Amino acid sequence: MMTSKERWLAVLHREKPDRIPMDYWATPEATEKLLRHTGCDCFETMADKLHIDYLVNVEPVYVGPPVANDADTFGCRFVEMDYGHGIYRECVYHPLAQYDSVEAIERSYSWPSPDWYDYRTIPQQIAGKEDHAVRGGGSEPFLIYCRLRGLEQAYMDLAMQPEMVGYCLDKLFDLAYENTRRIYEQIPGRVTFSYIAEDLGSQTSLLFSPETIRTVFFPRMKRMMDLAHEAGVYVFTHSDGSIREIIPDLIALGIDLLNPIQWRCKGMERQALKRDFGEQVIFHGGVDNQVTLAFGTPDDVRREVQDNIDILGQNGGYILAPCHNIQEISPPENIVALYEAGYTYGQSS
Amino acid sequence: METLEIIRKAIIEGQAKEVEQHVQAALDSGMKATTILYDGLIPAMAEVGRLYEEGEYFVPEMLIAARAMKTGLGLLKPFLVEGNVQPLGKVAIATVQGDLHDIGKNLVSLMLEGAGFEIVDLGVNAEPQKFVDAVQQQQVNVVAMSALLTTTMTRMKDTITALDAAGVRGKVKVIIGGAPITQAYADEIGADGYAPDASQAVNLTKRLLAAS
Repeated sequence: MMTSKERWLAVLHREKPDRIPMDYWATPEATEKLLRHTGCDCFETMADKLHIDYLVNVEPVYVGPPVANDADTFGCRFVEMDYGHGIYRECVYHPLAQYDSVEAIERSYSWPSPDWYDYRTIPQQIAGKEDHAVRGGGSEPFLIYCRLRGLEQAYMDLAMQPEMVGYCLDKLFDLAYENTRRIYEQIPGRVTFSYIAEDLGSQTSLLFSPETIRTVFFPRMKRMMDLAHEAGVYVFTHSDGSIREIIPDLIALGIDLLNPIQWRCKGMERQALKRDFGEQVIFHGGVDNQVTLAFGTPDDVRREVQDNIDILGQNGGYILAPCHNIQEISPPENIVALYEAGYTYGQSS
Repeated sequence: METLEIIRKAIIEGQAKEVEQHVQAALDSGMKATTILYDGLIPAMAEVGRLYEEGEYFVPEMLIAARAMKTGLGLLKPFLVEGNVQPLGKVAIATVQGDLHDIGKNLVSLMLEGAGFEIVDLGVNAEPQKFVDAVQQQQVNVVAMSALLTTTMTRMKDTITALDAAGVRGKVKVIIGGAPITQAYADEIGADGYAPDASQAVNLTKRLLAAS
């Protein structure tokens, strides 16, 4: 039997694993509920029981200037929103919203430094976890930019103030680059993946024009991807939504895995994605989180797992996972059905 | 170029300052506010919707166009109120209880406003009673709800139940939208309609009110 790590690597090397690897993404509330349902006292025990091939996540420890509980290192401030069965954090103060030029930002704002983080604990974070693939480093700067400026302003900036977007993204990518480089340096050869992500799709189309994406996002993401590849690290790219139009660009940039494959979104039909891109990229995700896991029955989930393995997993190149964090509304029975079906059906395919 | 064409072009291109300048100049020259609205702002936003649906415009372009339209509308408002110009309909709109994600809701509001509807913006995290109050106190004829999360979308049903319980469900059309929402879900909870984006929300609202 392969270890989790060997299973992931087999897929990445285009070899046949002993079964399809299964990843896990969920909110803390959903995990709590699943722990109670399965009678497990910790995540690792539950992951073993459900045959989840979880990743070990490494990150540096923050040692910079003090940050308030409701804030982050960028000076964004958050509220905890109660949705009835749990909470999520949402940014409500945007520290760069007040500025109307790059000069004004340069005069008044201090960007976080990679020196505000201590990387020395990273080797300890993977000690004893040799059987698992490791995730570390990566980037998702436009997400931070949206918090810094406010979502609508950030979107409008793309059309009205591209120089401001470019300036800030360079700062944010520089920080991510150096952070990632230092992580690799701590555990050479041990990081399996970096998430080089950016949300570029809505339910029905791209959020931004292909031209904007190609000029603003891709050159900067490419630099991150090159850093990863030079260190022998695989590039895991996440973008929600309908992104079919730019998948050829992502492949040309050098991505290795594409997540989350929201097949219910326009243009994201699984057969066509597999046919057109299956030899060039590995698919990760595919188990719908907006309808099937949340509102379907365990049988619906099993059927979907089977379809995903048949379609996305044909001749390999697929890692089974939910399309983003499983939310508390998804019944634990559905989550168990996902992993049981994946375990059973993933062996024979 | 004639004034209205300049205004339309500036809106489509998202040039708020130009819109402001030319709408003001048109008013100063004695053009009627209703002419500027019906022949300037509204057709411009219809064109923006068309460009979005055809994949030429994306969210940023739509947002800056809507913002430019809103600048012009602000100048027209006092004249429209004074002239007792009736909107196409009155829409109470909000994200549902527990949901703070409002970019979609704001875009729908702007597109509806740009089509000639009056908006009662109930903001974010709106409990069912807030919609009921708007229907009872502000004579709205459409209730529009938005949710980004699967964990909050179920609150849409609570609002419809509350409208029912208050005896006002029959007075309004209920439309819903947001990432996890589908037509099937709208049917399941008894909403009158669902639209996948802001542009189609305008057509949906017009269609529902025309049929009522």
